[in-house]
Amino acid sequence: MNDLPTRRALVFGWFLLAVCLPLGMTLEALHALKLPVYLDSTLRRELWTLAHAHGTLLGILCLSFAAVGERSIPDAGARASTSRWLRTGALLMPLGFFGGGVLNYEGDPSLAILLVPLGGLCLLAALVRAGFAAARAG
Amino acid sequence: MGSPIRGFAIVSALALAPLAAWAALRLGYDPVRGASEAPLIHREGGYLGSEACRTCHGDHHATWERTFHRTMTQLPDARTVVGLFDGRSVAYGGSSARVFEQDGRYLMDLPAAGGGRREAEVALAVGSRRYQQYFERVPRGGGFAFVRLPILWHIEARRWLHLNTVFLNPDSDDWDEHRADWNSNCIFCHNTGPEPRMENYRDPSRRGVESFQSEVAELGIACEACHGPGADHAEEQRDPLRRYSGLLTGARDPLIVQPTRLDQERAVGVCGQCHGQRLPEPISRVEAWLTTGPTYRSGERLLEHVAPVTAATPVRGGADPDLFRLRFWGDGTPRLTAYEYQGVTDSACYTKGSLTCGSCHTMHSARPGDELGNLTPPMRGNAACLQCHGELGRDLAAHTHHGPDSSGSQCMECHMPRVVYGVVEIHRSHRIEIPDAAGDAEAGRPNACTLCHLDQSPRWAARETARLWNRTPREPASRADHAPLDLPDSVASVLAGDAVQRAVWAKAMGRADAAVKAEDKAFLRLHLAITLGDGYPSIRWIAQRSLTALEAELSLGLGPLLSSIDHQEGQEARRASLFAVLKALAALAPGKLSPPLAASFARGDFTLDLEAVIRLTDLQGERSISIGE
Repeated sequence: MNDLPTRRALVFGWFLLAVCLPLGMTLEALHALKLPVYLDSTLRRELWTLAHAHGTLLGILCLSFAAVGERSIPDAGARASTSRWLRTGALLMPLGFFGGGVLNYEGDPSLAILLVPLGGLCLLAALVRAGFAAARAG
Repeated sequence: MGSPIRGFAIVSALALAPLAAWAALRLGYDPVRGASEAPLIHREGGYLGSEACRTCHGDHHATWERTFHRTMTQLPDARTVVGLFDGRSVAYGGSSARVFEQDGRYLMDLPAAGGGRREAEVALAVGSRRYQQYFERVPRGGGFAFVRLPILWHIEARRWLHLNTVFLNPDSDDWDEHRADWNSNCIFCHNTGPEPRMENYRDPSRRGVESFQSEVAELGIACEACHGPGADHAEEQRDPLRRYSGLLTGARDPLIVQPTRLDQERAVGVCGQCHGQRLPEPISRVEAWLTTGPTYRSGERLLEHVAPVTAATPVRGGADPDLFRLRFWGDGTPRLTAYEYQGVTDSACYTKGSLTCGSCHTMHSARPGDELGNLTPPMRGNAACLQCHGELGRDLAAHTHHGPDSSGSQCMECHMPRVVYGVVEIHRSHRIEIPDAAGDAEAGRPNACTLCHLDQSPRWAARETARLWNRTPREPASRADHAPLDLPDSVASVLAGDAVQRAVWAKAMGRADAAVKAEDKAFLRLHLAITLGDGYPSIRWIAQRSLTALEAELSLGLGPLLSSIDHQEGQEARRASLFAVLKALAALAPGKLSPPLAASFARGDFTLDLEAVIRLTDLQGERSISIGE
């Protein structure tokens, strides 16, 4: 694979999976050890579970983009910007969920949660860019 | 794809999720609205209901949800009714009731007041930890009343009991002796935001036919009972900017009460609004109480709304002039539950220290099981007191003069002894104090030392406390019940004491951690057997449970006989039970127990000098004690 944007998405996807999949095991361990700092905050449990799930799925999305991006988006510029938006969103979203569950309040996440909508916008931009580019190519 | 179609597709895709969410919110079940539309529920005075609190305070809601406060009052259904309505009969005083379920309704077939039978349907269930009481809905005037039914389900004993055998009252065959309206009694402290709405308060002939349109903000004791009405707080905190600005700056929302951040007086008032029997202050506020409900709201100064009942509270309206005095020991210490506020505020830990209810209790422990007493494990032991008296913890035995692992080195055993009666149990006093053996004997009050040293007299306790703690020696001049001062306090009190005394001692005599070896407890068993014939059924039941506890500690083979006894049975049957236990003790104890204490009217052959026993029981007097549970 010589195309730089898809290669970057490939590498990023693997690393994201390497971080977010073990996070699931960490959460299991927190359950197994019955650590109150995790179990007693419903919001923290929810946010960290979301960080694990989003990180894993977005890692797979990055790998998917790496697999089909070069074929489905012939325009190199569109591919590069899609890869950039995708990687930024895939980083910010799980980070925001995880950070939102650190130093969170009972009913509200910490301010790190603001990374989530930013990440969401980046992902939306990536999807729209990829969609338009793919449509044009088709 | 054409550009307009593509644009429409993109906009549609982006709008689909918000539209679906909007539709779900419009059409789906709203738990907050659902709770407010339930029967008996109002939304006056800024109350919102605990479902609304759950939205933001899920963890605190979950910890409260486990407590017995939540389930204190409930509408009857399969989840809430704990009594077995399985068609069985419940006999008492020559009559019987039958409890059964029909088409999801919970029914009782009862003896009617004027003869014959009647059927009552359970409309409300009250009580959550020890027993559940049931109420029927009776139409009255233009309104209604929830009226208490005569039998209840004892949750721990898993059996039906007649109210006459549960409350601290002498035997009575009157099935309706404890008939009472929920709307003017239980509603105040077993619910949140109570509004009795008595319709005919100003009608002088209303007595016995009070009519109500009662509603509450929430059945049971919920968030807003302690945190105050929450509608304004919830509305204000909907704004995320305001919320985060408060969270980041540490600014507290003044629209909601946080009991742990109140000053000492206001903090104890939050619990004291219910855990401290009281009268409206001024008394003219009683009309407000019975119509729009109590005026106190959490966070206010309780004493600006109520006058706590004390031994000196005057009794109005021709009622028993001793009505309030009898609820306290001779030295003014409360001897009933629901007087914890009076006990705490009369303690040096409160008047000279910073004690509040929250120093030991919590409504929000994360650990299941802590809802028993709302105490975390450390707060059940010495850690509770050592929070402030840490210096004593460094060498506990030097302070207690008891072995560090013995019950004598448990702070609460001496400073908060179990001398308080309620719900057929004996509880800790909340008046935290230094034991005074002489004063206690003179005041007719159980003493912390002899509650454990069950074989010792008040004189011995007075001498020992003076010796061990270097106090000026003072022996009691006499006992309040006029029993001899040299008798073991336990024996004298369980025989000659008044009803609350006898109940407290009957319970103490069964304690496993007493300073009397199991094999030396023959005299306790003999006198507990005598107490099986007490004139108060609830005391008989406590004695039976204590005998069972002693049997569990050291078995003589009395178990089947003890479990066959029913404290609800009539005089002849219980006389037979009493003598059966005495006979069995005389037959089974030799060789297994040491000869009984001679000073307790017991003989070496494990029999009792019954004449001496009767001389003491005659000291109980003719006056029955009714404490108004």
